[in-house]
Amino acid sequence: MQMLAHLTFGFYLVLVLGGGMVATGTRSIVRAFAGLLVTLVGVAGLYFLMDAPFVALMQILIYIGAVSVIIFMAVMLTMASRGERYETPLKTPRKKILSLLAGGVMALLLAGMVTKYPIMSSMSPRGVPVSELGAALLGPYALVFELISVVLFVAMVGAMVAVYERRK
Amino acid sequence: MLSTYQWVAIAMFGIGLFGVMYRRSLVGMLIGVELMLNGAGLSIMAAAQFTETNGALAQLSTLLVMGLAAAETTLVLAILLIVDKRFGHVESDNISLLRG
Repeated sequence: MQMLAHLTFGFYLVLVLGGGMVATGTRSIVRAFAGLLVTLVGVAGLYFLMDAPFVALMQILIYIGAVSVIIFMAVMLTMASRGERYETPLKTPRKKILSLLAGGVMALLLAGMVTKYPIMSSMSPRGVPVSELGAALLGPYALVFELISVVLFVAMVGAMVAVYERRK
Repeated sequence: MLSTYQWVAIAMFGIGLFGVMYRRSLVGMLIGVELMLNGAGLSIMAAAQFTETNGALAQLSTLLVMGLAAAETTLVLAILLIVDKRFGHVESDNISLLRG
């Protein structure tokens, strides 16, 4: 059983990292989008592995279902409408080196923190029943729940107002 | 086991940050931001599932991150449409005007 868990973890790890590489490395924006989708599926799998099936399903529903459709619309309405499939290529490799440096330095800083201050952790995850999540949302975290819905509402109305064209 | 997930989250954050810096189009940068946010959510979740912390808190925090990501993506879509209408492209290099 332990062996199976390791195998599954390795599979999701490949999905996450491989998808991430494709999402940032290719010039074609549609391929990058497909890579992001693979990564999101991998993260959902990791949530399942962490004994959090509710959040895993939410990841599939919100990210793979909604956020990716919005990104898809963004590609469709901007670049694809003019037939652009690729970003304009870089003239010098300088920007790539600097970008690698930016990502690498921040990742190294975080990695240093993780190795310097290790946290006592158990080998197996502890699950939380969904009923407890619901009770927490209606009890101590009710304000957060209301606030996030207000934020979502404002973001959507704001987006509509921003792109709305008044008739001349 | 917690540190294993934290390494994955750090890798995702690093890849995402690289994407935001490296990509020229705003859509590509948005994809990078999504990767970074997902890494953060993964880290939050692992931090509670493998320790004595209240698990419900972490799961709700991850849901909160997802909600904020959805709101952020919606606004970025609106910004993209406006930029595309005004400049005729969505590449960040030539967009340096901050005027109404």
